Amino acid sequence: MTEDEATDTLSPRERERYDRQMGPGVLTAEGQEKLKSATALVTRTGGMGGPAALMLTMAGVGRVIIAHGGELISPDLNRQILGSEPLLGKPRALYFAAYLRSMNRYVEVEDIDHEPDDEEAKELAERSDIVLSCPPTMEERLRLNRAASEARVPFLDAAQWGMTGTLAVMKPGETACLQCLYPEEPPFEELFPVVGAISSAMGSLAALEAIKILSGSGQPMWNRMLTYDGYHGQIRTSDLRRDPHCGCCSSMPSAREGS
Amino acid sequence: MKIRVLLTGRGYQIAQHVPDPLEVPDGCRVTEAIALVAQRLPADQALPDSCLVAVQGKHLGSVRSHDEATLQEGDELMLIAPVAGG
Repeated sequence: MTEDEATDTLSPRERERYDRQMGPGVLTAEGQEKLKSATALVTRTGGMGGPAALMLTMAGVGRVIIAHGGELISPDLNRQILGSEPLLGKPRALYFAAYLRSMNRYVEVEDIDHEPDDEEAKELAERSDIVLSCPPTMEERLRLNRAASEARVPFLDAAQWGMTGTLAVMKPGETACLQCLYPEEPPFEELFPVVGAISSAMGSLAALEAIKILSGSGQPMWNRMLTYDGYHGQIRTSDLRRDPHCGCCSSMPSAREGS
Repeated sequence: MKIRVLLTGRGYQIAQHVPDPLEVPDGCRVTEAIALVAQRLPADQALPDSCLVAVQGKHLGSVRSHDEATLQEGDELMLIAPVAGG
């Protein structure tokens, strides 16, 4: 990385790298520089978080933090695109981060080899500009939601089951939060069915929303949930209802009130 | 009257016997429509209480607790069973 590349200004080589995503209908040069100065937290980085982290890295988000515990196992390889046959039995975070670094020299990738607890999730959210929630359990999702709410950073929740997926785009204090939708934690199903094509699609769509939000481009899907029912071939969006009694966000003043 | 029904998310395959469109009484309320959907599920299956409910693209809450509304002919009732998955 050259001296230029260590600043928030785009170097000529970076401009060349991102040439196809800067222009009418995509990102401005200023938007690309905003991406470069941004930090995104992605947890976890399996079927959805993996493609999300990859797209953020390739798009030029300056710092991508990934968290994922455990070692890669064979059933992961129907969807975990940051993995590969030679990595079976190896720790995911370490090797997934190495792959991400190999895809874009201009991005800093930080790897965390476990799932953050409450305190660590809060610390990570506070030094991030956006949180992408992609874990398999609702417990972890709700934890990340609380962390993002406390840090007042946008929260994107990508989820899937079988051939269906959802993506919710939330802004603490202004939109519904995940706990507004799920005030009580739904039961966890450890061996959920999953087709890699749907998890990859949902992860990529989450990355697109993150890129729009971080770069100031386009119209983010604030307070909406996209539902992709791949089984029935139906796509919908729903406006989300904020719970006035939400245990996470109801006491939070809106950004306008708070400013 | 008839409404559209889309049951998606976890366990979507249990909805294969729910007709779409679904015949409901005129002036049907959301709670009644949800009950009519539930009646069409296999005997050993039920909609989760945490299943999200949306009508015409507006989220109303969950099966357990949702805003009430009167459905109109052609409205779409969407039931999104909670999904996590990574």
